[in-house]
Amino acid sequence: MHNTCGWLRFGRRMIWLACLTALVLSVAACSGSGDGNSATKPGQKIDMTFWSWVPGIDQAVALWNKENPNIHVTLQKIPSGSSGGYAKMHAALKAGNAPDLAQVEYQEIPGFLMGSNLIDLSQYGAGKYQSRFTPWQWKEGVFGGKVYAIPQASGPMGFFYRADLFAKAGISRPPATWAEYEQDAIKIHQSNPTEYIGTFPPGNSAWFTALAWQAGANWFGTSGDTWTVHIDTPVTEKVATYWDRLRTEHVIKTEPDFADGWYKDLQTGAIAGWVSAQWGDAIITGNAPGTSGMWKVAPLPQWTAGGTDSANWGGSSTAVLKGAKHPQQALQFATWLNSDPQSIALLIKGGYGWPAATSGYVGSSLDQPSPFFSGQKYNDVFADSDQHINESWTWIPTTDQAYQHLNDGFSAAVNGKGSFLESVKAAQGQVVDDLKSAGFKVSTAQ
Amino acid sequence: MAAVHRRTTRAAWGFLTPFLVLFAATFLLPIGYAIYESLHKNSLSGPLGLGGSHTVFAGLSNYSRALGDAAFLASVRRVLLYAVVQVPVMILLAVALALLLDTVSARAVRFFRATYFMPYGVPGVIASILWGFLYTPGTSPVLALAGHAGLHPDLLGGGSVLWSIANIVTWEFAGYNMLVVTAQLQAIPGDLYEAARTDGASAWQIARRVKLPLLRPAIVLTTVFTIIGTLQLFAEPLILKPVSTGISNDYTPNLSAYNSAFANNDYYLASAKAVLLAVAAFVLSFGFLRLVGRRGGASR
Repeated sequence: MHNTCGWLRFGRRMIWLACLTALVLSVAACSGSGDGNSATKPGQKIDMTFWSWVPGIDQAVALWNKENPNIHVTLQKIPSGSSGGYAKMHAALKAGNAPDLAQVEYQEIPGFLMGSNLIDLSQYGAGKYQSRFTPWQWKEGVFGGKVYAIPQASGPMGFFYRADLFAKAGISRPPATWAEYEQDAIKIHQSNPTEYIGTFPPGNSAWFTALAWQAGANWFGTSGDTWTVHIDTPVTEKVATYWDRLRTEHVIKTEPDFADGWYKDLQTGAIAGWVSAQWGDAIITGNAPGTSGMWKVAPLPQWTAGGTDSANWGGSSTAVLKGAKHPQQALQFATWLNSDPQSIALLIKGGYGWPAATSGYVGSSLDQPSPFFSGQKYNDVFADSDQHINESWTWIPTTDQAYQHLNDGFSAAVNGKGSFLESVKAAQGQVVDDLKSAGFKVSTAQ
Repeated sequence: MAAVHRRTTRAAWGFLTPFLVLFAATFLLPIGYAIYESLHKNSLSGPLGLGGSHTVFAGLSNYSRALGDAAFLASVRRVLLYAVVQVPVMILLAVALALLLDTVSARAVRFFRATYFMPYGVPGVIASILWGFLYTPGTSPVLALAGHAGLHPDLLGGGSVLWSIANIVTWEFAGYNMLVVTAQLQAIPGDLYEAARTDGASAWQIARRVKLPLLRPAIVLTTVFTIIGTLQLFAEPLILKPVSTGISNDYTPNLSAYNSAFANNDYYLASAKAVLLAVAAFVLSFGFLRLVGRRGGASR
């Protein structure tokens, strides 16, 4: 650090402040021309900007532009949301020069609503497209009866596992319940001390959140004019205690997921399974190509034998941002992008996740047996999973902060300070404080 | 005469203007904006607070929020602990390397100087990624070797990652600091050494009694830079975060401000944290300068 670099660092902070200043100064220049829902005359060409990071989406946009020469969409690839994409959007919104459309993940939608940054699409007739999408995914963009986002893709969950390693440990079938998952974890680690059934990623609490969701938790909600927070409920505590036990028994790893060490473990078989979402297939096939033919997919382990409860991990929508000049056409494009069969085919090819459109799966390239997954038609598991997701789950405007509290608590637990259970209990108060200090009304009443 | 003077003044302003404009636009204005932001907050209206938001004056409430945030205060304590270890290690190493190079033969000097300086040419982000690989079990050849010897050190855990970061920073900047000290060493007139040798001083005595006292300005300078750099620790923990379980979102004050701004979208709180950090760096740097200034005066 030291020397010029110390100043460089200082300078870097100054740079974003300078950029912000420049952006704010440009508000005056832009806002004059930006507003007004100009009705377009027939034959008039319009141009819209769309920010996204989804791989392969450029091809779908190109197809739209070919089919709709008068409504041109300019795609600008941005870093994924959590890697700076949202920061970019919020800065642009603050400055008044945001794009017309943007990629917004489900858990971020309330955060964008916070400054009325999304346009209510129901006033442009979004309601009539509802039937094209999976009901719970449609609801992710609906607040107070208004539609703010068109769902794109999601991550219904299942259990990826190395059938060969399970067999070697003397396990003949995948765990049907979490109790069996624990027994299998013990068996696998005992049969080979360098192998584990999986990792509990302490820095990725979105994963834990999904498992609490599966167990029947409803952390967030609204009641009239007030946000409600119920994180430290018996259901969530049951899930936290379960993983605390596996952690203290040392039958799971506690290394970060999506990190070099973890990818290496996928390749070497040091982890024999992954509780993940449908899009996890691309992660495994892309990062551990040498394990082709060894994997299978099973439904999520259940808390009650014979249950079918599932959850979702990750999901994304197309939203129309404040200041968009042609919201009507933007809605038209967003709906086409996420429900037109040709567009979906291109997006599936790029690996965008699980289609939010109800017609997306059957007959698509997902709907086929895969040699990588032992010839299993594994997406049937996720198609079924998608039908059993607790639909009442909602998010809050401060979801990111809630994740951070859990990440910090879980990481401390892994380092010997506290436990997952204590982190969950502490998060309740922390999340309430976050909402309050952001200016929201909060209730924790049942 | 007056006309010449006026022309000179005009020329001076002419030359100064580009600097002053840039200085105001990239330094004064952003600092002013950060201070302005730190005194404001969002106010929400409408059902569920989603009706709309506007900026209102918040007084010092962002500062009291930052100072009342246990995680932010812990991050300040963490970098202070880090500084207490890192600053002396860095300075001792830089001075020792410079003094050693000063005593070896000319050709070897150039080679070693370039070698020590080379890490500084690697951007901090790249260095952190490289070291991240070396710290991660499974990808690190060093850890693989240690494993064969029966050692399994956890270099990325909560107790050790701060020192793993210190190692990266030392690797990056010791050579640079060494160069600053070397430049000062070369400015010392050779007849001083000659006089010392004539008086019977050994190489060790020359280093201790002649070189070190004369290196004082360079040591003070590198120390101030190291203090500031230490407080602003950012890139290394940010890059190591995904591979470590020991780095929280508020690991260092800079990381905390970054998260407030870009993850939590609270630019107001982030600005308050940034201003607090700048004030702390200012106080510590000038405090150190006054401390050494006073001592220097007393010994004279």
